[in-house]
Amino acid sequence: MTSTAQELHPALTLEPGRTILELKGLEKRYPGTHALKPVNLAFKASEIHAIVGENGAGKSTLIKLLTGVMPRTSGDVIWEGKPAALATPHEAMALGINAVHQEVVLCRHLTVAANMFLGEEDSRFGILQQRAMVREAQKIIDDLGFDLPAHVVLGDLTIGQQQLIAAARATVRGTKFLIFDEPTAYLTRKEADQLFTLIRRLKGEGVTIIYISHRMEEVFELADRVSVLRDGTLVGTRNIAETNDAELVKMMINRSIEQVYHKEHFTPGATLLEARNLSGKGFENVSMTVRAGEIVGLYGLIGAGRSEFVTTLYGRHRKSAGQILWEGKEVQVNSEHDAIRLGMALAPESRRDQGLCLNLPVGLNLNLPIYKRISSNLLISSAQEKTEADRQIANLRIKTPTRNALASSLSGGNQQKIVIGRWLAHGAKLFIFDEPTVGVDVGTKAEIYRLFGELLSKGAGIILISSYLPEVYELADTLHVFRRGKLVATHGFRTANHEDILNQALAEKQEKPGGQI
Amino acid sequence: MSTEAIPAERPKRNYNALFGLTLLALLVLLWIILSVATPSFASANNISNLLRQGSMIAILAVGQTFVIITGGIDLSVGAVVGFATVIVAMLINAGVPVFLAILVTLLVGVAIGMFHGFGIVRMGLPPFIITLATLTSLRGIGLLMTNGNSISINNDAFQLFSRSSFLGVPNLFWMVILVGIPAYIFLHHSRWGRYLFSVGSNAEASRLSGVNVQRTIYMAYTLSGLCAAFVGVLLASRIGIGNPTQAEGWELQAIASSVIGGTSLFGAVGSVHGPLLGAFILATINNGANLLNVNAFWQRIITGVLIIVIVYFDGLRRRGK
Ligand SMILES: Nc1ncnc2c1ncn2[C@@H]1O[C@H](COP(=O)(O)OP(=O)(O)OP(=O)(O)O)[C@@H](O)[C@H]1O
Ligand SMILES: [Mg+2]
Repeated sequence: MTSTAQELHPALTLEPGRTILELKGLEKRYPGTHALKPVNLAFKASEIHAIVGENGAGKSTLIKLLTGVMPRTSGDVIWEGKPAALATPHEAMALGINAVHQEVVLCRHLTVAANMFLGEEDSRFGILQQRAMVREAQKIIDDLGFDLPAHVVLGDLTIGQQQLIAAARATVRGTKFLIFDEPTAYLTRKEADQLFTLIRRLKGEGVTIIYISHRMEEVFELADRVSVLRDGTLVGTRNIAETNDAELVKMMINRSIEQVYHKEHFTPGATLLEARNLSGKGFENVSMTVRAGEIVGLYGLIGAGRSEFVTTLYGRHRKSAGQILWEGKEVQVNSEHDAIRLGMALAPESRRDQGLCLNLPVGLNLNLPIYKRISSNLLISSAQEKTEADRQIANLRIKTPTRNALASSLSGGNQQKIVIGRWLAHGAKLFIFDEPTVGVDVGTKAEIYRLFGELLSKGAGIILISSYLPEVYELADTLHVFRRGKLVATHGFRTANHEDILNQALAEKQEKPGGQI
Repeated sequence: MSTEAIPAERPKRNYNALFGLTLLALLVLLWIILSVATPSFASANNISNLLRQGSMIAILAVGQTFVIITGGIDLSVGAVVGFATVIVAMLINAGVPVFLAILVTLLVGVAIGMFHGFGIVRMGLPPFIITLATLTSLRGIGLLMTNGNSISINNDAFQLFSRSSFLGVPNLFWMVILVGIPAYIFLHHSRWGRYLFSVGSNAEASRLSGVNVQRTIYMAYTLSGLCAAFVGVLLASRIGIGNPTQAEGWELQAIASSVIGGTSLFGAVGSVHGPLLGAFILATINNGANLLNVNAFWQRIITGVLIIVIVYFDGLRRRGK
C-alpha cells in the first residue's frame, strides 16, 4: 500500500513553494518530560528549513516523530495532503522521509557498502551480490564527491566520515524529505563543504531538507527559512534574509549573549606537563608544554593524531618513544590511574563509546571520578553524592528531570555536558578536553568557556582539542596545529589568521581512511 | 529552562523498590495458594525445610549477581560448591580444626575467583569460556582427589550446625542474612558497588574516569567464588559428605534466581534483594510441586516458563509502559 503512495507522487512532480509536510498540534511526552508541546508548522517543497534551539529543546524528538522512530503522543502529520500515521521507520521511508540522526545508527562491523544497502540488499536466488553492491556503493559515493572507499568496515572510518556515509545512504532511496540532525558536529570544514554541496544539489532535485544545527553561520549559509524551538514550543519561523544571529539567539534562550568566547588571560605559572619528542600509535615526535593558567589548543583534522596524543599522555595507550615530564620530573604513565593520581583529567571525544554509562543515572555518571572523595572508608556519603551531582547539574544547566534519570534519556548536548561536568569537581591540575562542545548550544558553550576561565584562575592548565577552528582560535593561548600525526605549526593567541591555520592543517591532499598512519 | 521544577522524583529507586515489592507479593501469593492447596505446606517443619532449600541457591545468586552486573557470567559456581564440599570434608577428616577447615575452603573459593579474573583480564578470555572451563575441570579434579568416592564427614558438631535453628529460624537462613546485609551495603552504598555497575555499563568510560576496571572484575569473580565456597561448606554440613559431583546444575538455578530478581544479563542492572527473592520463589515452586505430587519433570518446565514470564514483564515495564 505504501509503495503505491510512492508511485502516485514521484519527487519530480513537486512544484516548489507547495506545502509538502504539515504538523498539526504535534506533541510528545516522555515519562517526566514534556518534550514537544503541540507544534504547528508547514514545510514547503524543496526548501532548506533549519531548526535551532537549546539542548533539550525538542529538535531530535521532532525528528524521531517524523521518521517513525518514536510514536507521537497526539497531533497529526499531513504528508502531501493526507494524514500519515508514521508508526514505523519503514512507513516513513516508504513515503520518502529519511533522516541522518544525531548519533550514527549504522552497523560498525559491516562494510560501508553493506551499510548503504542495509535492508535492501541486492540478492539473486538468496545469494548476496557483494561485489555488485560494493561497486554500486562506490559509484554513489564518488558521484556525491566524497573521497571514501566502499569496501572498508564502517568502524574503521572517523565519526565524521561515518556521518557522510549515513548521508549518502539516506539519499539513495527515493528520498523526498531528508532530515539532518547536527550533521556537522563531527565533520571537518572540508567534509562539511562536501555535505553542503550535496544538500544544495538535493534541493535542486526537489528534495525538502530539514537542517538542525547549533552553528549559526551554517544556518545562514544554507537555509531558506529557520524555525526556533524553546522548551518544546515553536517560538517562531523566519525567512533567513529577514533575521540575524542575535535575534535567533534571543529567541532560542530568551536572553542575549554579548560574548560567547569568554577569554581571560592569566600569567602562566609553572610548567605542569611537558612532552618531549613523544611518539606513539597515530602520532610522532610531538613536543609541547602546558603551564598552569593557560589553554593549549590542538587543531587539526579529525584523525590527525590529536586524540591519540592526549590519550597516550593519559596512560590509555603506550608511548613508543620520548618522555613525559610532570612538574619537571620524568614520569611513567602506565594507566589512566597513574594519570589521574598525578592530577590529570580527560573528557574524551566520543560520549557514547568513551564518555557515558548510558543505562545508568545522570548522578552516577557525574560522580564517577570522585567516588573516592565522597566516600569515607567504604561507604558513600549519600548526602554528598546528591549535592555534588546537583551542583554540576545546576552549574552546566543539564536538562534532566532528576539526577536519577538515565543518561540515555538526555538530549545529545546534555549528555555532552555530563562528560565535561564530571571533572569539574575533581580538583585536577591539568584538564584535557577533547571536542568538549560538540552538540552543545550557544548559551551553554559560553558557560563552559567561563568555567574554563575559573579552572585557569585556580591554577589549572587546559589542553583543548577542537576541530572547530573558531573555538581554539578564540580560546587558546598557544595553538598547535596537527597534520597526519605530526605537530606542524605553533601560534600564539590570535597571531595567525584562519586561512593559514587551515592550510597548515590540510596541506596536501586529505588522507584517505584505511589507516596508513 | 525548567530544570527546577522536578515533578517525578527518583524514577529509578521507585522502580527498584516497586519491582522488589512485586516479587515479594508473588512469593506471598504462592505461599497463600500453597497453604490452602496442601495442609502440609504451612507446617513449621516444611517452612524450615523450604528456607533451608532456598538459602543455598540464594547465596549463590548474590555472588552471581555481582558478576552479571559487570556484564559477565559465572558458570562455575555449582562445580565450586561440589569441590568445596570435598575440600572441607577432607580437611575435617584429617583432623584440622573446623574453623580452620572452613577458612581454608573459603580461601580456595577466593583463589578460584581470582583465577577467573586472571583469565578474563590478563588472558582476554570471555567469562563464559573461562568459567565453563573451570566447571568441567573442577569436577574432574574433585573426582581425582576422591577417586570417585564420597567422603563422609566424621564431625557431628559440624553437621549439627546446618540442622539447628536459632530463634526458631534455621541457621542456614541466618546465613542468607549474614551474606545479604553486607552484600546489600556493598552493592548499593559503597563505591565498589557503583564501579560494578559502571563497568557493566561502559568499561571504557569507567576506565577513563579513573575506575580500576581490572580490579573491579577481579573483585566480582572473587566474591562469586567466595559465595560458592561458602555454600559448599553449608552443603557439606547439611548432608555430611564431601562429593565433587554435588550441586549439579546449581549455577543455572543461581542465574535463574538472579534474572527473576531483575538482573539484566546485559549488565549494569541488578540488586541484592531481587535475587534473594528470586531464589526463594524458585524454592517455593519446587517445594510446592513436591507436596502436590507434581512430576519432577514438570517442575523444570514450570521454572522455565516462570523465567520467561517474569523477565518479559520486567522488560515491558523497564521500557516505560
Ligand atoms: N527516551 C527519552 N526518555 C525520556 N526523556 C527523553 C527521551 N529522549 C529525550 N528526552 C527528553 O526530551 C527533551 C528533548 O530532547 P531532544 O533530544 O529532542 O532535544 P534536542 O533539542 O535534540 O537537544 P540537543 O541539541 O541537545 O540534541 C529533553 O529534555 C530530553 O531529556
Ligand atoms: Mg538532539
